[in-house]
Amino acid sequence: MVRTLDGTVQSFLDGRLWHREHTPFSMQEIKREIDAGNIRTMQGVVTQRGRFGRVIYRCNRCLNENEARYTHFDCAKCGGNCTYCRSCLKMGRVSSCTELLYWTGPPVQFSQKHVNHWQGTLTDLQKRASEALIASNEKGRSHLIFAVCGAGKTEILFEPIHRLLLEGKRICVAAPRVDVILELAPRFQQAFPKTRVTALYGGVKPTLEPAQLILATTHQLYRFHEAFDVVFVDEADAFPYTADETLQKAVQKAAKKDAPIHFVTATPAKKMIREAIQNDALSMIPRRFHGYPLPVPTYVALWRYEQQIIRGKLPVKLHQWIERQVTEGMPFLLFFHNIELMEMTLPLIQKIDPRIKSVHAQDEQRKDKVLALRNKQTPGLLTTTILERGITIPKVQVAVLGAEQAIFNKSALIQIGGRVGRSKDAPNGDFILFHHGITHAMDDAKKEILLLNQKGGFR
Amino acid sequence: MKECLLCEGVLSNKPSWQGFIGFEKQQVICEKCSNSFERTDIESKTAIIVSTTSLYAYNDAMKNYLQQFKFLQDIALAAVFQQELYDVLKGKSNIVPIPVHPNRRVTRTFSQVEALLDYAKIPYKDLLEKRDEVSMGEKTRQERLAMKPLFELKSSVQIQPESYLLVDDIYTTGTTLHSAAKVLLAAGAKRVEAVTLIRA
Ligand SMILES: [Zn+2]
Ligand SMILES: [Zn+2]
Ligand SMILES: [Zn+2]
Repeated sequence: MVRTLDGTVQSFLDGRLWHREHTPFSMQEIKREIDAGNIRTMQGVVTQRGRFGRVIYRCNRCLNENEARYTHFDCAKCGGNCTYCRSCLKMGRVSSCTELLYWTGPPVQFSQKHVNHWQGTLTDLQKRASEALIASNEKGRSHLIFAVCGAGKTEILFEPIHRLLLEGKRICVAAPRVDVILELAPRFQQAFPKTRVTALYGGVKPTLEPAQLILATTHQLYRFHEAFDVVFVDEADAFPYTADETLQKAVQKAAKKDAPIHFVTATPAKKMIREAIQNDALSMIPRRFHGYPLPVPTYVALWRYEQQIIRGKLPVKLHQWIERQVTEGMPFLLFFHNIELMEMTLPLIQKIDPRIKSVHAQDEQRKDKVLALRNKQTPGLLTTTILERGITIPKVQVAVLGAEQAIFNKSALIQIGGRVGRSKDAPNGDFILFHHGITHAMDDAKKEILLLNQKGGFR
Repeated sequence: MKECLLCEGVLSNKPSWQGFIGFEKQQVICEKCSNSFERTDIESKTAIIVSTTSLYAYNDAMKNYLQQFKFLQDIALAAVFQQELYDVLKGKSNIVPIPVHPNRRVTRTFSQVEALLDYAKIPYKDLLEKRDEVSMGEKTRQERLAMKPLFELKSSVQIQPESYLLVDDIYTTGTTLHSAAKVLLAAGAKRVEAVTLIRA
């Protein structure tokens, strides 16, 4: 008989690290478990001595050590000098007098009954990577999957995850961006219909279920503590993951000691590749699943485009490109380096078709707008770099306005190009870089795409 | 590298403006966030409070600000309006912040009005005590009118026949300020004015 654990303190708290004042349970229930020795508490913000006796604050939830992200105040609760962390504030404030709870009682026994319902077939390269990943799991070592955009990374993970689930292991697939999580969640649930798949991202309510397979934004990992037997980090290089060291530490904190942490990415850092080669744990997939090469960027000079737009004039070549996508009925994405320029350009482009819209990170209708593009209700979207990865829209044509801007580094450009030609029946498409000057990043991206195509067997 | 307290954008390194009272005005939010607040300077008069001045409208930016300040307990945000509050309150005497209930003060870990005044470096007198814990939003108008006073004078407090200035974060129905003003007037205050950061 499998004992159901739903809704118990144990099933909720095992593996989690939770603010004592914000649990879904009553104070008495929590107190009872603490007294029984099943829950221990950890001080929210602690101090350490750094070099030269300097005091360093550390938040035990998000591991932030940046002094500028702490505020010191006279606390009416603990009646003294108190310090709180502003880095993870939105998850409920953690201060010196906050207690974080973690479970030390009997661990949750996860189900070992799972099915892999995925019906597709893997290409040879995918299959090899999948098998290498299984081998790495058996050896308990971390693995790097370096796969071009459109290589079919997610499918590679299904069988390795299935094997882990059968052993009753607890697994997390983490990605820096919520868009990626939202796209992955239904695919994993379809692949594992008998498994509880839980998606965690900012704003979602915590479930009381003992989730065995968790898809989470890397931020959500702050709320876990030695929880996972294996962690997969998808799009590992995506902002803000590389930018934010504390997020990397959060992944380590969420994984059990010595648990393998696998990285899956189209644009790994050189150091990451070097380490993986040393550990004999690298799988490379330089070929898209449909067998066609990666789209190579085309440079189109648009001198002084910004001044033209400020004067209310859409540069001619950009106008022509948009008009062609609209008349040919091809969905398109036009990337911008900042919101201001994008909002200035939108009315000019809407003269071609008023249904064209813009999206950015704080846009509440972001999900709906992407859906409208997919359903062909809107002919195209102007976007900041938030849509650079993770999203798949059949036949989408892509252009960047201002490809010379610093935000469009090599990996951003490779990811943006990776949106094009992802389906078998439309493996090609435009990847245009409208620019005011060619940068090293543009050339490096183009070179790497050509090199990957060469490795993939194309001339 | 300094970050905007609200959007975490990088603050430009402009030389900071030296305040004439000797504390350096710190730039704590970016220009974009600063422009999202709507300054209104509404003034109103009633029979009980001779003048109530409210600095800002309760727009979306202000709703988010108050949410983060009070409910996410982000006391650092008291710095956002330090200059503006200083400018309207400097040199005034008998400034009385509207208190929160002592229990609420402990759970929130601070009193929001006192925090606003502390950051603005405005001295104040802690004269009142909140009596009832139920928040005004949960009561109907009739219930509110029928209630006994929300505040009482702290023990051993002496009110002078002078003018007093109440300060609160937000003016919604006016019930809170009026209730506090009546306590001060009944105890001998000559007149009562009020300043609130926001008018809903
Ligand atoms: Zn933190
Ligand atoms: Zn405290
Ligand atoms: Zn800002």
